[in-house]
Amino acid sequence: MSGSAIQNQNRIGGATWATFIIAALFLWSMWAIGFSPERLGKLPAQMAEVLGFFYPADMAYGWDKVLPSIAESIQIAWIGTIIGAVFSLPLALLGARSLFPKFARVVKLISATTRAFPEILLAIYFVPIVGLGAFAGALAIGISSIGMLTKLGSEVVDSIDFGPVEAVEAAGGSRVMALRFAVLPQVLPEIIAHWLFRFELNIRASAVLGVVGAGGVGGVLLNTLRYRHFDKAAAVLVLTIGIVLVIDMVSGEIRRRIIRG
Amino acid sequence: MIPQRPSRNWPLIIVTASFLLAMTWWSGNGIGFSVVEFLCNISGGGRLLAESWPPDFSYLPRLADPFMETLNIAIIGTVIGGILSVPVAVLAARNLTLGRVIWFTDRNFMNVLRTLPDLFWAMLFATAVGFGPVAGALALSVFTIAVISKLWSESLESIDMGLPEAVRAVGGTWLEMLKFGAIPQAMQHYVSYALYAFELNVRASMVLGLVGAGGIGMILETQRANFEYERVAMIVLVVLVAVLIIEEISEAIRKQLA
Repeated sequence: MSGSAIQNQNRIGGATWATFIIAALFLWSMWAIGFSPERLGKLPAQMAEVLGFFYPADMAYGWDKVLPSIAESIQIAWIGTIIGAVFSLPLALLGARSLFPKFARVVKLISATTRAFPEILLAIYFVPIVGLGAFAGALAIGISSIGMLTKLGSEVVDSIDFGPVEAVEAAGGSRVMALRFAVLPQVLPEIIAHWLFRFELNIRASAVLGVVGAGGVGGVLLNTLRYRHFDKAAAVLVLTIGIVLVIDMVSGEIRRRIIRG
Repeated sequence: MIPQRPSRNWPLIIVTASFLLAMTWWSGNGIGFSVVEFLCNISGGGRLLAESWPPDFSYLPRLADPFMETLNIAIIGTVIGGILSVPVAVLAARNLTLGRVIWFTDRNFMNVLRTLPDLFWAMLFATAVGFGPVAGALALSVFTIAVISKLWSESLESIDMGLPEAVRAVGGTWLEMLKFGAIPQAMQHYVSYALYAFELNVRASMVLGLVGAGGIGMILETQRANFEYERVAMIVLVVLVAVLIIEEISEAIRKQLA
């Protein structure tokens, strides 16, 4: 009884320290970038003013110019997801510690490095290679998808029931047969759910790639804002929010059904 | 007695497969996907990498200030967003919210926030408050609300309701119920999601400068425009190392908590 009380006190001490350190870091950061209380006070008025400019949205521009660029973002995200899925599936199997202890370290290193790159930095490198446009974006999204899907996939494989694997091998099956008949059937539903989730993330990622000239709706938003065409920027926002909401809903529903089986 | 193999749902398989093929064909066509083009241009990639090597280490001292600014932006975004996401998450949790209308509104608010990527918020705030790190910090605050509140509202929905009901039964108010009954149960999840959001924010803050929202991305954009690829490589290297270090630290803290 007394033991747990002491432990409890220590915990509170730790939390207080953490809060104190975070508060200090926060105040230092606010000071360092010049985010003063006056600036914070002016914020609501500024936001209200800009929001006023955004209304009404220029929907004619939206249907003509924005919709095709959103379609392009979706295409980039789709191809990126396919690249990620195709390459990450074998890597995820190789990266599972319980199946291939020797390869797992190497695979983990590869996936950690590709994940550390923000997509947009990869795009900066792909744009000079394959030229301005959506293809560069798709490659960037694809590479960064490989990293994350490999990591999540390996975790799924490591968490399976190994009974069937042993059964296949005990009956004289090879490693490949064990993968095909014991591992894949167990992991595929969850891995496909991760693919869909990654597709949802990739739509957001591909939407910003236009900023560095890699296609999609991001470039349109940047230009409309740069030239202060707020009514057109509003059309970009309205359509992006609407379409992404619908895709999220559909994809989320499919994911739930796949997981439930 | 071998059990009969369950029959396959052929119509579903055919419909799904043709949808996947059609999507891929439409997308591949739309973006001009071509393996040939990629292979033909791979020499250009080699040239680019050669130009990027070695990274310009003499440039490193001048990266210190923008790098700190980047961290400042990530810290502010995580703290402000982390605080604001508490009410958003609580009101979006079905078991704790204050009524159907509030729940429904908050949930939709949360989903709409989630649709826009970090750089869109950065562009919007840069327009509203001017170019610079303040715009970046505000953008990441909103982005953090979107990340934490969605995940945490799901944790809150899965807590054991016995404790909150007990607090209510002895006359506690709604706030007391949250403070003593509900939030302590999901506190570990909150800390872990906040750290995850911080990781995302560090990564995002590195590129915010591309749209003029402060941090190391601002000079990345200038050097890129001048084709100074040895300097670009240096910046990318710094970003990469920083992201990997922050990830390691945050993973270590999360393991300690678990």
